[in-house]
Amino acid sequence: MMERSLDVKRVLVVARRVVRQLKRDKRTIGLITFAPIFLMILFGYALSGEMSGINLGIVDYGGQDALKAHLQSVDDFDLLYLGSESDAEKLIVEGRLHGAVVIRKEVVRILLDGSSPQITSSIMAEVRSGLQPPESLQKGVRGGGGDGVVRGAGGVETGPQIVQRYVYGYDLEMMDSVGPAVLGLVVFFFTFITAAISFLRERTQGSLEKFMVSPLSRPEMVAGYLLGFSLFALLQSATTFLVVVFVFGVPMNGNPLTAFAVILLLGAGALVLGAFFSNFAKTEFQVVQFIPMVILPQVVLSGVWWPLQSIPAFIRPISYILPLTYSSDALRAVMLKGAGISEILVPDLLFLVGFFVASFIAATLILSREVG
Amino acid sequence: MNDGENSTPSTSISFEDYSIVASGLKKSFGKLRVLNDLSVKIPRGTTYCLLGPNGSGKTTFIRAVAGLLRLDGGDLWVLGESVSNVRRVRPRIGYMTQHKALYPDLTLQENMEFYAGLYGIDGRRMAERISELLEMVDLTEHSDRITGDLSGGMYQRLSLACTLIHEPDLLLLDEPTVGVDPILRETFWRFFDDLAEKGATILITTHLMDEAERCKIVGYMRAGRMLAEGSPEELKRLAGLRPILKLRVEDPKASATILANRGFEVDVVEGELHVKIEDHQQLKEVLEQVVPLDLRLIEPSIGDAFLRLAEEGSR
Repeated sequence: MMERSLDVKRVLVVARRVVRQLKRDKRTIGLITFAPIFLMILFGYALSGEMSGINLGIVDYGGQDALKAHLQSVDDFDLLYLGSESDAEKLIVEGRLHGAVVIRKEVVRILLDGSSPQITSSIMAEVRSGLQPPESLQKGVRGGGGDGVVRGAGGVETGPQIVQRYVYGYDLEMMDSVGPAVLGLVVFFFTFITAAISFLRERTQGSLEKFMVSPLSRPEMVAGYLLGFSLFALLQSATTFLVVVFVFGVPMNGNPLTAFAVILLLGAGALVLGAFFSNFAKTEFQVVQFIPMVILPQVVLSGVWWPLQSIPAFIRPISYILPLTYSSDALRAVMLKGAGISEILVPDLLFLVGFFVASFIAATLILSREVG
Repeated sequence: MNDGENSTPSTSISFEDYSIVASGLKKSFGKLRVLNDLSVKIPRGTTYCLLGPNGSGKTTFIRAVAGLLRLDGGDLWVLGESVSNVRRVRPRIGYMTQHKALYPDLTLQENMEFYAGLYGIDGRRMAERISELLEMVDLTEHSDRITGDLSGGMYQRLSLACTLIHEPDLLLLDEPTVGVDPILRETFWRFFDDLAEKGATILITTHLMDEAERCKIVGYMRAGRMLAEGSPEELKRLAGLRPILKLRVEDPKASATILANRGFEVDVVEGELHVKIEDHQQLKEVLEQVVPLDLRLIEPSIGDAFLRLAEEGSR
């Protein structure tokens, strides 16, 4: 039961009120602007890919001087010189070493405690860059079963030379890939919560009833909120954006305005979704309970931290209905690959628009139910 | 008043004369019947008070009139429109809820500007209207204060001012004078009378008997239906209440006997004679029979009527 057309004047009246309220709420403004910065900085340093305190064993049977010199020069590694490969294995099993490099003239063997992909790749990368020119590598990865060290079969092999080529010309750090996606996550999270609580208050304090008796229609009310909040969403995305790009050096290869458009579209969707969900909460405390229901699945399943491809196929359909999946994809495309609007239109922008429209209608319809 | 609407209701009631016409309203919340075949007609240009104990359905009725409820049954017409089309007359309705519905983090001025805006009042007309109303509720010098910091009475006053911003033809006031001091309450009432004289209809719920007495019509509700309706005077008579003449006399017992023999209802309470009388003729008659040292005439209050009706209703 949609009613009447939107009266722009009334929408502006609501928007102005929302802005006036928020302006006076210093703490919420602080939350909106500084919390994302703080979060981004935390994420940024935690994910910057720089590791230290990796305990690496060296079993030196002679040769490979360049490699040895290189490993000694890496600050992240605490080296421990061992007499034999079996000693190294033993220490890895005991958890005292993250890995070991067995150096012989003809072959370099790497033993790894495979439990941390980041540490594994860090050791591999350093060994690789210490081997100039590239030599054959052979690695043994400790299995999860804890049954000792499993070596790659075959003894001495001359492995193929490894050549890496980055399609976009960058050796992307973790933050580069996660940053754009987290940008969306942060905006979604804060907008959803703030909107849900604001609409809940309208209902609990009785102003919603007063609205209902006034000429203000429900779409006008929701639209007014959208407009009022969008100013703050803009402020929020701008600060978060600046931190991501300037503090962490995440590349901004596309048009920043395109990235902004994606963020605002996502924020608009989060707002109306919050308005919708507020109807299922009686108190602010119950709003907080939506975090594990609405926010966490998106954190885990929408490809913010790891690619969708690593999510089990039977859960993946859920990923494809989460708005953050599409915003992450779009923001990465714009920021890392320099994509323009036309390149992210399908499916990302289309989905985000659809998500917004569906949530807007749902939020409006649910408001027209009997109040109280 | 031109209301510009051309709907012609199928009933014979003249909607020129009545702002609200309800017949056989029914509403249940779960098993609880809140409106139980409620019928009432509220004339235009009057102050109408809904009186009744807690849970008698007063607020539910007001919310139904405001179009905030889906009724289970019955017909309800508001300002000439069926309540299902109440949207059309919403610009002419002012509704003051029992809730603290204003925004606590806005100033008084900002709250009023917001509600003015909802009704399409802006520019100079808004400024004039706001200063006029703030004047009326005596809050002019507080207009820049934050609403959340106001005392209970000040809040009620602001709430009323916001409700009146668009000069509604029908005012729905759910306990409007809670927390308002007696002097200002008097101002409110003079204002309500004034509005009614100009043609507005004012529907008020209250628990306060002396307030009910200020209304032209009082409807006494109980258990979701209208038990009695009329002017305060009529209601008192309906409850069987008459003025009581209290007399101090030399010999109460002897005087009581004399009066009782003449057919008066007489009680002796703490050495005083209490005589129920109907009119001035009877008053004269009593004073011819006994010579009082002192006398007082006590008019029954609407409160007495209310208590009496409540007692009868629960029997």
